Amino acid sequence: MSISRGAPKRPFSSMTSRARLARWALSGPPLTFLAIFFLIPTLIMALASFGWPGREGGFSPLWYHDAAGWHFDFTLGNYRDIFTLRLFLVLYLRSLGYALATTGFCLVGAYPLSLVIARARVGYRNLLLLLVIVPFWSNFLIRIYAWMIILGPQAALSRGINAVLGLCGIRAVNLLFSPFAVMMGLVYVSLPFMILPLYANLEKHDPALLEAARDLGASAWSCFWRVTFPLSVPGVIAGATLVFVPALGAFAVPDILGGTRGIMIGNVIEMEFLQARDWPFGAALSIILTILALGATGIAAWAARRGIKAYG
Amino acid sequence: MARRAALYAAALVAYAFLYVPLVIVVLFSFSASHLGTRWAGFTLHWYRVLLHDAAMLHAAWNSVIIALAASLAATVFGTLAALATRKYRLRFLPVLVLAPLSTPDILQGVSLLVFFVLLNVTLGLKSVMLAHISFCIAYVAIVVSSRLAGMDPSLVEAARDLGASPWKGFWLITLPLLAPGIMAGGLLAFTMSIDDFVITFFTAGAGTTTLPLRIYTMIKVAVTPEVNAVSTLLMASTLVLVLSISKLAPQALKGMG
Amino acid sequence: MARRLVMAAGMLAFFVAGLVRANGVLHLYNWNNYIAPQTLARFESVCRCRVAYDTYGSNEELLARLAAGATGYDILVPTGEAVQSLIRAGRLLPLDKRKLPNFVNIDPAYLNGFYDPGNVYSVPYAYTVTLLGYNVGKMRALGIPTDTWAALFDPRYLKRLRGRVTVLDDPRELLAAALKYLGYAANDVDPSHWQRAAQVIVKAKPYWAAFNNTSYIRLIASGDVWLAQGYSNDFFQAEREAESVREPFTIAFSVPKEGAVLAVDNMVVPKGAPRADLAYQFIDFMLEGRNASELTNLIGSGNPNRAARPFIRRALADNPAIFPDHAVLGRLEELRELDRKQRRFLNRLWLEIKLH
Repeated sequence: MSISRGAPKRPFSSMTSRARLARWALSGPPLTFLAIFFLIPTLIMALASFGWPGREGGFSPLWYHDAAGWHFDFTLGNYRDIFTLRLFLVLYLRSLGYALATTGFCLVGAYPLSLVIARARVGYRNLLLLLVIVPFWSNFLIRIYAWMIILGPQAALSRGINAVLGLCGIRAVNLLFSPFAVMMGLVYVSLPFMILPLYANLEKHDPALLEAARDLGASAWSCFWRVTFPLSVPGVIAGATLVFVPALGAFAVPDILGGTRGIMIGNVIEMEFLQARDWPFGAALSIILTILALGATGIAAWAARRGIKAYG
Repeated sequence: MARRAALYAAALVAYAFLYVPLVIVVLFSFSASHLGTRWAGFTLHWYRVLLHDAAMLHAAWNSVIIALAASLAATVFGTLAALATRKYRLRFLPVLVLAPLSTPDILQGVSLLVFFVLLNVTLGLKSVMLAHISFCIAYVAIVVSSRLAGMDPSLVEAARDLGASPWKGFWLITLPLLAPGIMAGGLLAFTMSIDDFVITFFTAGAGTTTLPLRIYTMIKVAVTPEVNAVSTLLMASTLVLVLSISKLAPQALKGMG
Repeated sequence: MARRLVMAAGMLAFFVAGLVRANGVLHLYNWNNYIAPQTLARFESVCRCRVAYDTYGSNEELLARLAAGATGYDILVPTGEAVQSLIRAGRLLPLDKRKLPNFVNIDPAYLNGFYDPGNVYSVPYAYTVTLLGYNVGKMRALGIPTDTWAALFDPRYLKRLRGRVTVLDDPRELLAAALKYLGYAANDVDPSHWQRAAQVIVKAKPYWAAFNNTSYIRLIASGDVWLAQGYSNDFFQAEREAESVREPFTIAFSVPKEGAVLAVDNMVVPKGAPRADLAYQFIDFMLEGRNASELTNLIGSGNPNRAARPFIRRALADNPAIFPDHAVLGRLEELRELDRKQRRFLNRLWLEIKLH
């Protein structure tokens, strides 16, 4: 398959002024916007993560000037704590586990649906796609509360499962307020973020390719693994990114559905900013999480690209 | 054929998974109980309450305006970012695009508030929109990129060979090919924006309230089915809005499906 | 379609109403549903102004927003310890009592809190008690006492309640309850006492369903949870809900004999308030008996206003968990602010508890 990536890269200096203009017209607006409204504010927080919390919350100044001259009040203590206290390592790993599992379940759950939508009659595709996203225009909190009702101990689901468990002589389980509920909630809120990019990718596949494969005698199963899936890898990467990265920092779902055992790193970060009023430490935890997420997606994208090359 | 049936069954299960909680949300907006713990008989009471709750309606209105503006702007920025990244094989831009997605909401909210205060920006609808655009760009850019990946560049080249200007080539060939990706990304951005609480909480000014802000802060004093009612209405009106856009401007959506 | 038209008309009316009110806008930053709609409407017609009512869900959210520099509010309604923090940070305007003739209506028992001696900055608005709410029938059937924190912490009782208990997701409140259970003060800051309290919590935790301060009202009202640590006004709502949907059980709540936490919410005016004049007018208006009573009648909050008593429904006024008598009041404690070292220590302790 073709993985050529557009025009070959030319050294910047040799570009014509017209080409340079085109380059800036494309990359300039998003670059400028994100630099101003994301990068600069985040760098301020990154700087502040080397400081102390203010007496009443916020930050205490990193430097100040008084009669005795300039004072600098930097500390590496926040990062030292993160890397030396077992507590935080456990939390990062747990979040990583949840995020990976969420991505896996979403992929398995989303693929058939995306495929069905992509292969539906042209007139129906938009409608089917819309149906995926419509539930997410109601409020997040209300949807999660609905899950509390579904998973609650008096609801049909719990009763049914516990009746079966009872027959096998196993003690009744609580579905709500369990890691299971957290997993369910995370998959639920993430599913469309896997479905939509997958659809956008699958939709462009040329049906002629599949027909050709079938004419050559390939079974449906091997058609899928040899043709459809390899072609859809960019869609899978996009979906996995949109699911994995936000799930890594999730806090609302574990907070509401997790009970006493569901805490994730996102909850801790929220706590540092609110309850503990320890912004520098919260900022340090966030920066590490961001690096972790970017690193993980970078590695995954690189590996997938290698995979495609091996295929092609 | 059995495989085909299995595929459809799996898709149906996924739809059911998405819709079971929604059925409960809608159902309880008609329930006579105060906290929505039990079905307590059919009533339109909560819709009547909602119609008289000017503050709640105003918040819903703000949410829709912000989500429309933010997702439109993010769609433009995100599509540009995806195109630029692919065309010029940029390394820094994709990282910058992805970073807001991986930064905890609360850090983004607090940092933007600190930033706005430093610059003396008056907090209000506009500050919320700016904040929403910055976290929505990633969704569009990533989806459009996945659409772009492996797209056949020979089509654009062919158009050029036929004498089309780069702009015309983009408009006639690239954009229609990208449309499903742009639409999917835009929908995701809209969805993220209309439901955001944390970042909005920090960047909204005095007197600017959105629906999620109102609903989340109800936590301390109990959430009534009025919230289910407003959620149901919001969902229905968004659906009507999107459907009427696609009816009124079928040209715009052509080639998308 | 008709509904959408009405909705649009409603919005239009809202905007027009905003234009007609000539006297400007009062920006009220308050808990959600923490002022009765009719009170708000009456104030708007009295002051001929519009009230922009924004909401927050916790003191921490309010403090975080203000710490980052958010401005533009005329009235805030923080709890005692948050008032203390705001005073220490120099963010509040001292109040001129001559402009508040109705200030005399406040019950002296709720004045001169530790956080603001002499009430220089703050005027009590409403209060809640953190206590135990329970399913009356279940607790009786299981033989569990409901007048002690032991029900929440003693594994002897918890064995019978496994998975049907929630506690507040708030380190201060939960630690305070455990400290009270151990016989210490809620405001005890001795690290060794905190450690003991943490051990009590860790031992009880396996029996609890959740740390929860968001949805225990509906969980207890639906019968999914039988015992919860929570706020008096929330349990009042749960009680009403269970009654109104004719559940076969009743919900009740009471102050444990070891004592509990009292949280008084206060009206304060932040420095730089754009309309301090309207803020004074609002505070004095809310100090009138009838106006003050409407919130209590709506959500079952405690009311520090003596003039409000005649307007408050009997069922509420007679409930000692909502209006504690002198004996009970003596057992209640208001939480004090921690310093930043204590906050960091408490937060790490809390994480250990949650991860355990």
